[in-house]
Amino acid sequence: MKVSDEMLMAYADGEADDTTRTLIETAMRDDPEIARRVARHQALRRAVQGAFAGVLDEPVPQRLVAAARGAPAGNVVDLARAREGAGKRLRRWQPAAMAASLVLGLALGYLGWRGSNPLVTSNGELVAGAGLADALSTQLSSDRTPGRIATTGLSFRAKSGDYCRTFSLTGTHTNSGLACREGANWKIKVLAQLPETPSSASAFRPAASADSPAVRAAVEESIDGEPLDQAGEIAARRENWSAHTSR
Amino acid sequence: MSTNASAENIQEQIVALLPRLRRFARNLVRSPHDADDMVQIAVERALLRLDQWHRDARLDSWLFKILRNAWIDEMRSRGRRARIFMPEEEGEHVGEASIDREVDRLSVESALARLPEDQRLAVSLVLVEGLAYKDAADVLEVPIGTLTSRLARGREALQAMLRLPEGDQS
Repeated sequence: MKVSDEMLMAYADGEADDTTRTLIETAMRDDPEIARRVARHQALRRAVQGAFAGVLDEPVPQRLVAAARGAPAGNVVDLARAREGAGKRLRRWQPAAMAASLVLGLALGYLGWRGSNPLVTSNGELVAGAGLADALSTQLSSDRTPGRIATTGLSFRAKSGDYCRTFSLTGTHTNSGLACREGANWKIKVLAQLPETPSSASAFRPAASADSPAVRAAVEESIDGEPLDQAGEIAARRENWSAHTSR
Repeated sequence: MSTNASAENIQEQIVALLPRLRRFARNLVRSPHDADDMVQIAVERALLRLDQWHRDARLDSWLFKILRNAWIDEMRSRGRRARIFMPEEEGEHVGEASIDREVDRLSVESALARLPEDQRLAVSLVLVEGLAYKDAADVLEVPIGTLTSRLARGREALQAMLRLPEGDQS
């Protein structure tokens, strides 16, 4: 009786039926070559078994746990909608909208499990969550107090009349963005992931938010005149960053 | 039996399966973030279709199948844009590092990445996820004979790439 390689494979995988198993075990005793081929299958099985094993030890992102428990939409960042919404916005601000929205998606994926979300969706648009919105509304760009959710970089008036500010989320040091005050929300116009800079990622990196090319390009395209100086920021803050104040 | 209670129970079973879903997704999608996105999409779909799950079927196989189908949909809609999916040339330079036994794991993963998709998924479901042949065939929606032949060819290719010692001394 000829023993095929697929039969040996099935035997090594524990898939052989009783008859085949007996047959193969007899063949293994009689023929060292058969035994060697089975051992080869078993060795491969063991080698492949551990592939991606590290993934099992990683903490599962909270957004996935929430999704599995059927969390109502809104508690979880809706990636598709956030991407789509941001993509639409970005087109106005910078040509590389596709690439940037991909970056946005990746950054969101990363941010998703960081506990309280600095970014949330509102009517399908990405806006600053409570903590980030507070930082954008109250912090001056000169403020480098540690422990804040974000540092703010440039503040300026956009051609639309809206006030916009660049920011860097602290803790990650790799996410920066541009937000503009529209109505009651700080809408996220661009969110970019900075390349890792382990040596320079210190708390004292100046105006880090301007470091991302995507953010800088968006600022350059939208800025009306010069960035605000500190007096300008204080004045804007007094008006709650409302676009309707006189220019 | 209360349907609500059992739905909650299934949700917790899905939570428990998340690590394995994430691992399987890494065989589909290269970037860990995108792999997690696929898992999220699959889980959301699964919850919408709980009534389609037959209680005698394995929950993990069912979820793997939804994940794989979600990935196929995603791939179609993206048209393989942005190279976020496993490029086949990737393994070619990584594979050379396999002389160094420290990168043994990496070399298994990069060898897997070099397999044609059909074989990669068959190998991943049976050898990594530990599914029975019939469950793996069900996930891939192919007859069991197709599954075993993909598996056999995938193993043959891996054997050649990994150059494992002949036989097993351990």
